[in-house]
Formats: sequence, structure tokens, C-alpha cells
Amino acid sequence: MRKLLLLLLLAPLFIASSCDKDPEIEVVGNVEINFKANYDGELFMTQNEYDYTSEMKVKFTELNLFVSNISLLEFENSSEETELAEVDFVDLSFNIDQETEAAAGYDISTKKVPAGTYRALKIGFGLPADLNRTNPGDYGDGNALATSTHYWAAADSYIFSKIEGFSDNNGNGIFEAGENEGLRFHLGQDEVYTERILFPSEPIVVTEDGTVNLSLDIDVKKLFGISDITYDANQDGLLDFENYSSSHGDTDEPGFLVDRTVMGNYSNATKLNQ
Amino acid sequence: MKQIIIFLFLSTLFLATSCDDDDNPMDGQSDDLTDIPYTPVAYDLVVPCDFPEMEIPVDNPIMVDGVELGRFLFYDPILSADSTMSCSSCHLPSGSFTDNLALSTGIDGIAGRRSSMSLLNVGYFNTGLFWDGRVVTLEEQALLPVEDPVELHHTWPDIVSKLKVHDTYPEMFRKAFGISSTTEITKELAAKAIAQFERTLVSSGQSKYDQSRCAEPAVFLSPQEQEGAVLFSFEEDNHPGCTHCHKVFNQMFTDNTFTNNGLTDIGGGEVDNLSNYPDLGLGEVTGSIFDNGKFRVPSLRNIAMTAPYMHDGKFQTLEEVLDHYSSGFHDAANIDPDMSPFQMTEDEKAALIAFLNTLTDQEFMNNPAHQSPF
Repeated sequence: MRKLLLLLLLAPLFIASSCDKDPEIEVVGNVEINFKANYDGELFMTQNEYDYTSEMKVKFTELNLFVSNISLLEFENSSEETELAEVDFVDLSFNIDQETEAAAGYDISTKKVPAGTYRALKIGFGLPADLNRTNPGDYGDGNALATSTHYWAAADSYIFSKIEGFSDNNGNGIFEAGENEGLRFHLGQDEVYTERILFPSEPIVVTEDGTVNLSLDIDVKKLFGISDITYDANQDGLLDFENYSSSHGDTDEPGFLVDRTVMGNYSNATKLNQ
Repeated sequence: MKQIIIFLFLSTLFLATSCDDDDNPMDGQSDDLTDIPYTPVAYDLVVPCDFPEMEIPVDNPIMVDGVELGRFLFYDPILSADSTMSCSSCHLPSGSFTDNLALSTGIDGIAGRRSSMSLLNVGYFNTGLFWDGRVVTLEEQALLPVEDPVELHHTWPDIVSKLKVHDTYPEMFRKAFGISSTTEITKELAAKAIAQFERTLVSSGQSKYDQSRCAEPAVFLSPQEQEGAVLFSFEEDNHPGCTHCHKVFNQMFTDNTFTNNGLTDIGGGEVDNLSNYPDLGLGEVTGSIFDNGKFRVPSLRNIAMTAPYMHDGKFQTLEEVLDHYSSGFHDAANIDPDMSPFQMTEDEKAALIAFLNTLTDQEFMNNPAHQSPF
């Protein structure tokens, strides 16, 4: 009798405990995003000469940008996002004696991404307002946002992207600072931050312990595409470097339009491949 | 006979030990330092308002006794081969820790290639030290001038040997680092101590510029100085503004980068001409031709006290510097695109220099804690 009572007492406990779900084991994989730059399809390297228009050559000396809010959009429900990186600084300033490095580009690697099928990659070019309210002093060494070279104290803003170089305005074959041929596009401020959803040609599938490689190729020439003829003296769809060779987070025209245009062009100039 | 044997044995032993002069160089003194108290106290680094937090290596915190040892070493000619020069020979407090010479000269009377850099706020410069950025940390930096043939031209093994038998240094090393024996004195510890001292070389906050930002009651810049402040950060058309490189953020007045500001005529802007630089600067370190002629952007704090200017001491006055930037620079394939000619009136030039003069920090230079202990 006592055994029976004991059995009856333990049986529900056993049943109850057997109903407990096993601890959920998350199935994860890795995502690697590789950033590279090209110029009209040709590998982009700083200090290399490129045709800007049929009559003007350009060379660049610096190209870099902050990217932020990088996430994967789930296949079934695109409002569900899986964050890959909050912010990173992508520097693609590789000189022509660094062709290997230029071809390798810059990698952002994210581990422990939930396995699954995703439909698109979301990315911010520049910094959203909440991050842009911070400053380099808020971060320790090693953090992308700790760099004071990309911060305007006066404007209380990060410089989202720096593109510097020269345009051979007088066509003499030499890029001359002394002839005011410098290009200085320092783009920033909240208003020019842009987010873009980039769709691959097929779903992004993260498998258990597997690595998905995504490639983001930025066409630098496309960054200077412009439709406003005021800024396109040659009517060739490109920003007129002779008259608009710099911008510095301006809030007034024409600088603001140049800022907005070039920063906004990152979306269209960037192609996702996998 | 037995006594003779004992005598011979002891004599031999004595002779043998008397020849062994390396193991215990203290000549009668013990190398054991454990009787000396080791009570480390953190150094209270006071910095002006809005200064960032200094990144300090975890293996070399700033301690009171470490700073004191570093100060002694910094000023002690024991670091030079002929005991005539020390770090302070080229980094004098009266020159904001420069020597106010175009090119610094070492113990052999040979002029170096470059002007000595100010050490003001050097603890904040974490993107490469020296004009060419060849080392990253102050601990690495402190080791190099000692053995440089055109600087102190000594050797660290010799210096360490001297330090081990010195009257005061063993005790100071013990207090600074808690070593148990003189045998533990190394060049690395000496460099750590010097680095600790150098990290204390921070602005006083008493410059007129700092006072205008932080003082209570407020100190105001004169109209001319204010005009200069506006010009300093002025950006319009092809004038990029001094702040592009001499960033005000973090109050360092430098963006800690390396750039070519067109000091030397190399024959024009073609890439091949980049090989013509007599001093390659950063290019010497990286090996990239596109880094030739690039040098560290220096801080402008105490700039009025650190003439002559540029890595080669090319300019004697700030007026000459401004003339260079407005119209006197030389093109190069890797020149900074921010270099762009501009017009500047004499009044504007005077205003800009008046503003730069507000960065003068006499209290820093006169701070007793920074002076020679000898």
C-alpha cells in the first residue's frame, strides 16, 4: 500500500518533469560582408587616375564611410530584422601600390547569426541620429566611433563619409592643389543619413555553422551622379567638379544639396552580391 | 701544512670571487631591495575641461613614484654615452618641451634630420609617435633616442649597468615598480617610467583659450582673437579651414594623422617625383611611395612657444607658416587635398596669430612638477 502511494506521488512529478521542454539550442551560422569599391566597373584604388568625363580625369586620395544598422530581413516577415552590426567604419583608401588590399576590401564578420532564410540586407550609410548625437569621447580605443578625424565639434556631428582627391580641371595631365583642383567631400549631419534595403538575386540562407559571404560593391563614379542641371554644367549626369569641389556638412545650398546627393547616392552606387 | 692549505683555498676563493664583477656590481652593497618599502600610489592626473580620457596601458599605470623616477631619468645625462645630454636637452620645459632649434643636435655634434617635437599632451597621441609615426606607444618611443647615433648615442646595456649601481636609482625603481633586486632593473622599466612622466605633461588649463572655455568667472577673447578663432575654422569655397587637420575636438588641435602639406619642392605633382623627398617621413616607415613626404600633424597648443616650425624647422615665424599655407606650398602627387591657395589680408593674418597666441600655456611650462630635479 505504501509503495502504491509512493508511486502515485512520484508519477505526477515524473510526468510533469517530462513535459518540460528541453533547453532551446539556437542553431547559428556566420555572415561575412565584404566591402569593395570600383570605379565604373574597374577596381578602385586611391591615387589611380580615372576618366570622370570625356575631358576630365580624376584621382582620389581617400574614400571611407560609416555604415550602421546592418541587419538581415527575415524571409517570411520582412519587418523582423536580425542585427549583424550596429556600426562600423569602412575605409577603402587603398593606394595603387596596394592592389591586393584593394581587391580584398574590408570585411565585417558576424558570428552566431540565427540559421534561416533571409530575403534582404538592410544597411545605413552614415549614422542614425541617436548615434550621431554621441561623440568620439564616448568611446574607447578600438571602437569605430572613437575616431576624432571624422567628427565635427562645431556641427556636433560625425563626418559620415570622406571622399577626397583631385580633378584635372585644366586638362594638363597633372593634379594640382596649387590650381585649386582638390576635391574635398566631407559628408555628414543627420539629414543626409540614408538607409537602404538591398535585395540579392536569391535568398540569403544561413546554415548551421556555415558562413554566408555577402559582397557590397560601391561604384565611386556613381556617387557623383546628379540630376539637377544647376550642378551639372556638362549635362553628363555628373557633379560639376570645377564648380562644386567640396562640401562640409553644409546646411545651406549648394553645399547641402551636394552632401545630400552624394550621401544619398551610396544607396544606388552599392550593389549586393553573394 | 693544514693552515697553508686553508690559506691557499681561501686565497683562491677570494681571487675567484673578486673576478666575478658582473654578478654583483654593487661592490659591497646588496642587490636585495626588499627592505625598501613599496607602497604604490596612483598619480592624480588633472586635465583641463573637455579633455578626453587618456588611454593608459594597463601594464603601465601612472603612479606617483613611477612619474618621479621618469622625471629623474628624463633629465639625467646618464642616458647619453658621454653623460652630457638627456631627453631634456631637446625637450626643454621653456620651449614647451622642444629645443627651439630647426634641427636637433646629438652628443656628437651631428644635426639630426628633424626638429624636436613638443611633448605637451603627448600622452594623447596614440596614432604613431615621432614625426614619421614609427612607434605607437611612449614606452617604445622612450627607448629609441638613447641608442640613436645622432641623439644620445648610448647603449641600453651600459645604461642599465650604471643604473643598477647608482646611489639612488635602485631605490627609485623599487618604489616605482616593486622590484626585489637590482637585477630586475631593465631598459623596459626605465622606458615605462619615462612614459609615465611624459603622460603627466598635460595642459594646465590656464591658457587664455582654455580660460575662455572653462574659467569661472569667464575670460573673454579680444575682438581680434575672436576674429582669429573664426578664421581658424572658416570654411568656404576653396578655403578648407585650419580645423580640417588641427581639429579642435578633444582640444588637441590635431587630427593625429600624417599628411603632406607641400613643404618641399620635388619638381611637380607627378607620382615619380615622390621619390625626390630628402626626408621620406611616413613613407620611410610604411614603404609606400604615396606616404613619402607625409609627417605628423602637430598639435597647435603652445605653438607660439615652439618655433621654428615644421618637421625640418623651415619656418621661423607663424607669419611664414601662414604664407606657406596661403600661397607658398609645393604640389605633390600625394599632397593633402585640403591644401588650397587662399587670400589673406595682413589684418586677418594678425588676427589668426592673435588667436594662436591664446593657446600659449605658460603655467604648463613653469609647472614645478615638470622641471628638472637636478
